[in-house]
Amino acid sequence: MHERIVAFVKALRAAGVRVSLAESLDSFNALEQLGISDRQLFHDALLATLVKDASQQAQFEELFPLFFGHGDAPMISGANGLSGLDPDELQQLRQEIAQLRERIRELMQRLMDGQNLTPEELAALARSSGINHIQSLNQRRWVERRMEQQMGLNEFKQALEALLKQLEEGGMDAAALTEIMQQMQGNAQALRDQISQFVGSGLAERMSNDYNPQTGDDLQHRPFGSLSDADLQRMRQEVRRLAALLRSRAALRQKRDKAGQVDIKRTMRNNMRYDGVPMKLEYRKKQQKPKLVIICDISTSMRPVAEFMLRMIYELQDQVSKTHSFAFIANLHDITEQLNDSRADISVNDVLESIPPGYYNTDLGHSLDTFLHSHLSTVDWRTTVIIVGDGRNNFNNPRLESLQTIRRHAKRLIWFTPEDRWQWGTGDSDMQLYAPLCDRVHLVTNLAELTAAVDRLLAN
Amino acid sequence: MEEQPTKPVKDGLIAQSYIPTDQIATVLYLADRLEKPLLAEGPAGVGKTELAKAWAAATGRELIRLQCYEGLDETKALYEWEYAKQMLYTQLLRDKLNNLLSDADSLRSAADRLAAEEEVFFSQRFLLQRPLLKAILNPKPTLLLIDEIDRADAEFEAFLLEVLSDFQITVPELGTLKAAHRPIVILTSNNTRELSEALKRRCMYLFIGYPSLEEELRIVEMKVPALGAKLARQAVEFVQRLRNLDLKKSPSISETLDWARALVLLNAKQLDQDVLDQTMTVLLKHESDLQRTQRAIQTGRNRNDEGRRKG
Repeated sequence: MHERIVAFVKALRAAGVRVSLAESLDSFNALEQLGISDRQLFHDALLATLVKDASQQAQFEELFPLFFGHGDAPMISGANGLSGLDPDELQQLRQEIAQLRERIRELMQRLMDGQNLTPEELAALARSSGINHIQSLNQRRWVERRMEQQMGLNEFKQALEALLKQLEEGGMDAAALTEIMQQMQGNAQALRDQISQFVGSGLAERMSNDYNPQTGDDLQHRPFGSLSDADLQRMRQEVRRLAALLRSRAALRQKRDKAGQVDIKRTMRNNMRYDGVPMKLEYRKKQQKPKLVIICDISTSMRPVAEFMLRMIYELQDQVSKTHSFAFIANLHDITEQLNDSRADISVNDVLESIPPGYYNTDLGHSLDTFLHSHLSTVDWRTTVIIVGDGRNNFNNPRLESLQTIRRHAKRLIWFTPEDRWQWGTGDSDMQLYAPLCDRVHLVTNLAELTAAVDRLLAN
Repeated sequence: MEEQPTKPVKDGLIAQSYIPTDQIATVLYLADRLEKPLLAEGPAGVGKTELAKAWAAATGRELIRLQCYEGLDETKALYEWEYAKQMLYTQLLRDKLNNLLSDADSLRSAADRLAAEEEVFFSQRFLLQRPLLKAILNPKPTLLLIDEIDRADAEFEAFLLEVLSDFQITVPELGTLKAAHRPIVILTSNNTRELSEALKRRCMYLFIGYPSLEEELRIVEMKVPALGAKLARQAVEFVQRLRNLDLKKSPSISETLDWARALVLLNAKQLDQDVLDQTMTVLLKHESDLQRTQRAIQTGRNRNDEGRRKG
């Protein structure tokens, strides 16, 4: 049992659930208390100790039956199950089945006798259905269908109808026919369940064996542009991890910050009640949490950076709850509401889909203008304005004066660009014009740089 | 069948008129046995706080509650020196102090003498106990409820970890104070922000969602028996349907109960349009939700009429 649970934990991890060593130890302790005889208790105990995130319970529920299935559903055997039939009728049924084609005959015989597939049979069937080439649980249905096909289950319905018809013509009464039909169908379903169970647990086990967690280190330094789909997936997890890291760093920083300067005025005022003796020192207000306005270029060239930037901000929302986000290609859109959705991937996707990329239609200058006229109220003296973009403006008017006005209203203006300095000014890039207006320009080409930039943002 | 080990938990809660699901009973049992804090998450109003209260009553423990909010820090959660009281004592004891120090020949010996009496001023007498310290020092068995931990700052969460792991607190002037009875700890969270991995790792996790129709019906029948079985079922069915609409704030169990009580007060016999109009604001707290529900009811009714005509 222990090995089974360890394998289950591994499969959970492979499915993206974070389970620590301490937690799997907890699950063993919990089982010691509850025993493993009651399936529901067993399930609840594992759930309470291993999964600490409501959104991940779905993965748990998917994997649990695969590892701790019900076992094979019992089939009802023809000899004692078909109680409504007399020996003659049973004989008649056998004869009719014997007339069928080979494969379907085997199946029908099996269904009538209520024989489950043995593990060896299942394994052989699965092997010839190509289970060894399957990588993920998503392809589970595909293998199952192939196995059912091999068993002849696809033709089962027709065969059963034909069989019943034959028997009816042979003079069998309706009650007996219904009985046969029900049993055959029930057993066929049991067989399907057995196959499904076998495939699912086989795949899950393979998943857990193949899974070896990779650290994100190499990923952090890879340029955003050169990521494969699998990398992107891992990268998203990495963003979450880094965001959590940044969040606790920011929290710590605020905590330490408290031990900073003494606020003389407040100290004197609050210590009046102690006769002016400074019993209790008052410190300057904690560091202001940053207020952010983010303006994101999400044209094709910028998408990877923009996605991860948005994700990072989404994850950090605790620290930067006063954030307004805008995205633009040709026009500026307010995406603050969209980013408030409960899940990062959904909301970020939502944004990226609702503003589809066009063909050479980026207009940074116009977007800055729109911001100036419609959204300047989101900017005040405490706000940091961040522009994420490569400054490629399609030879449109850069509207430097608009940016200047925004800069004047904000606490500071920071630019995240994925292009290095030597690329500025080449082609349609207006970066060298924008850069002098910014307080700082961060080069952000990979996750490590993005993290560092956001960290500096939270630091002051 | 063998009796489940969690049955006493269940019975205890039911005796406090709290109806637990199997999962709730199991997790509570485990948290108790393994001496781990229990983290209960779920939408507002599904009975997380109520669970803690019921469990405290069922186990005969004293409930100490720490309500979290943004800006909560150690002095509000743990302890604080009562400066004003210390000050007052010093003032009143001035004569005594003078006596004590009058025959000291040098400043140094006076200071030494004063230092010898120091523990008078830094004793538990002047320690203002906040919920965490109170839970630890309580001579009786205690249940500590840390409510809405997601509202506190991340830094407070980190501080809490330290307390929850050892159940001891070091006050520099007094030394280390240790718990006489290890309190049971229940944390609740409305999931407004992600809690830290470290905290989650140390807790048993329980997600309490909206109850099923039958469960909710049992709760209503137990808490508002005056409603009558038929109307109770109609009401619960209605609430369950509301939860399927895409509302800003779905009605929770506590709102179902409020509504049920309102129906009893109004002496309603059935759920007709009038009754709904009068009482809907008990269930729904947003104007847009109200309108949406009205529309849904209207379309539902039209469809019914059509069906009747066809039928």
